[in-house]
Amino acid sequence: MIQGALAGLASGGLYATIAVCLTVMSRLARVVNFAQVAVGMFGAFSSVWLAGPGVPMWLATVIGILVGATLSGIVGLVIATWLAEADVAVRSGVTVAALLVLIALSFILFGTKPLPFTPIFRGAAFTVGTVVISQITVVLVIVAVAVAVAARLVLTRTLLGLRLRALSERPITAELLGIRSRPLSVGVWIVSGIVTTFVVEIVAPSQSNDAVALSMTVVPAAAAALLGAFRRLDLAVVGGLVLGMLDGALAQLQGLALLRYFLPFLVIVGLLLWLQRGEVWDVAR
Amino acid sequence: MKIKAAAVATATTGLLILAGCSATGGSGSGGGSGGDTSPIVVGSVNALSGPATFPEASQAAKAVFDQVNKDGGIDGRKIQYQILDDKADPATAAAAAREIVESDNAVALVGSASLIDCQVNGQYYQQAGILSIQGTGVDQDCFQNPNISAVNVGPYGDTTMTLTYGSQVLGLKKICALVEITGNTGPAYKAAIAAWSQSTGKHLVLEDDTVPYGASDYTPYIVKAKEAGCDAVYSNAVEPDGIGQLKAAAAQGWNDVTFLYLTSVYSEQFATAAAQVGKGVYVPAEFAPYTNANSAKNADWLKLMTADKIPLTSFAQGGYLAATYFVQVLKSIKGDITRDSVTKALHDMTPISNPMVGTPWTFGTADTHNSNRAGWPIKLLSGTGKWQLAAVDWFKLNN
Repeated sequence: MIQGALAGLASGGLYATIAVCLTVMSRLARVVNFAQVAVGMFGAFSSVWLAGPGVPMWLATVIGILVGATLSGIVGLVIATWLAEADVAVRSGVTVAALLVLIALSFILFGTKPLPFTPIFRGAAFTVGTVVISQITVVLVIVAVAVAVAARLVLTRTLLGLRLRALSERPITAELLGIRSRPLSVGVWIVSGIVTTFVVEIVAPSQSNDAVALSMTVVPAAAAALLGAFRRLDLAVVGGLVLGMLDGALAQLQGLALLRYFLPFLVIVGLLLWLQRGEVWDVAR
Repeated sequence: MKIKAAAVATATTGLLILAGCSATGGSGSGGGSGGDTSPIVVGSVNALSGPATFPEASQAAKAVFDQVNKDGGIDGRKIQYQILDDKADPATAAAAAREIVESDNAVALVGSASLIDCQVNGQYYQQAGILSIQGTGVDQDCFQNPNISAVNVGPYGDTTMTLTYGSQVLGLKKICALVEITGNTGPAYKAAIAAWSQSTGKHLVLEDDTVPYGASDYTPYIVKAKEAGCDAVYSNAVEPDGIGQLKAAAAQGWNDVTFLYLTSVYSEQFATAAAQVGKGVYVPAEFAPYTNANSAKNADWLKLMTADKIPLTSFAQGGYLAATYFVQVLKSIKGDITRDSVTKALHDMTPISNPMVGTPWTFGTADTHNSNRAGWPIKLLSGTGKWQLAAVDWFKLNN
């Protein structure tokens, strides 16, 4: 069981990082960004595609990150321009459309066959018992914590963070006070795109390289972010790691292995019910 | 006023229905009178979008038919090939089948490659009296229906073959099975593994049939197999999932494991994307390995595929073979080419040999069809990035 839990850390690190990005996006851009990983996936696939004809790896990676950032910025621009006053649900719905478009586009542009990824980090970091914890897992956990800490510092200690928070909580008031909403919003989206593409570039070489499988890791990551109610970054990190480890542990038990499929769904439903526990339900609706 | 509007509406509807009828009537008479130049309509139902896609089979079949048409067609009649997408959705698959059989009035289905076509439409094909030569049969019903004969071994026969090759030829003693089940394919895989156990007397150390399809990380399952002390892993994974398993095993430092996979991972892109593969990935290729450059067996196929820029995969080989067999049977028909005469010809045919396949293919009148019972063992070794031949001849299943 422990071996299984440790084996699950590999995906746990990815979930934690994406959960942090989702929480930051939720707080700053007022959206649950379902296209979060899809953007990173597209950037990573672009890197591999460029590396094919002989572009050096580091340049291809940088260009891939730029591609991811641009795509994220475009989605952000669309939402900031036409949906500035819409509520979270509508804005999140648009990101679902972006997710589907990106997956379809990646199949059209990059094909449906596996792509040869060159790992940026490779090899083992250390071994616990018989399970090897790879360098990628360690890097991902560090990145998750680093992004969470950096986001918290920016949001609470800087003027920029103050403006961003104002923009997210009271968009119209912030605009009237002279805070330029659209550039700031798109800026948040671009930074989120950079971080996610960087993370996916690191993790993709160790995974199945499938556009759909990679993009859909946003679902368990969203379940992890829900642990922090899309507000608390520390719980998002913890949620991601725990979910990954639970996933891995369940895979070891033959009888309960099927539960693995439903784990994110059960976590989401459970957490939503828990978060709404204080409400009188007909009032909550 | 009301009555007038109703009359106009009725008249318009009537006209539309008549127009529709004449359109279908027109294409319907395509298989009719002899000596005509109306096209021979052939259809296929394919997974062109959805969780797994197999576009090359129908592309390859189309290439064959286009070549035949360029050379003058069959007795002056061109083959009109309808490629339909079932989107991995049963309702769409059923609708596609009905369109081919009823609207297009096809004489046969050739070159289909779908996850669900056989199980969704198998009975319908029996009712309609139409036969299907699957370019690649995927679900088990493709091998258990009197009206369907696939040109490939199929994932179940392939499973038995790869396990037999692993235990009998490679001498692997402890095999773990990581099986990905979609739909109701569970019992068929169990039966394939049981067939291996029965003929070799060996058993699996671990069998996990809850491995997720299309996950991005397979570390927990690889750890499980490693803990069980296995020296080989059998899996029916498709390419991305296979890559995921190989990457997970490499990350765990599991270097002395052999992987027994199916033809579904046999592509050049898979070989390039997989870096470290333990002691090797072994696959019983369903047709003559196309990555073997000197192969005279595949020369014609290779020329056609590269001319039409169709990806070189076993699905492309399957589609090519289905179309080639079909054209050969068509040429043997004396008289009109209709659905009935094609069905009769396929029932009465003599087996066709092709150097790309280890056993001759036939349709015939049996209740089930599984003509391809041989594979050519190929291997992918760590660091090579290319498939190589692992044997000098076909590996045949005894039963």
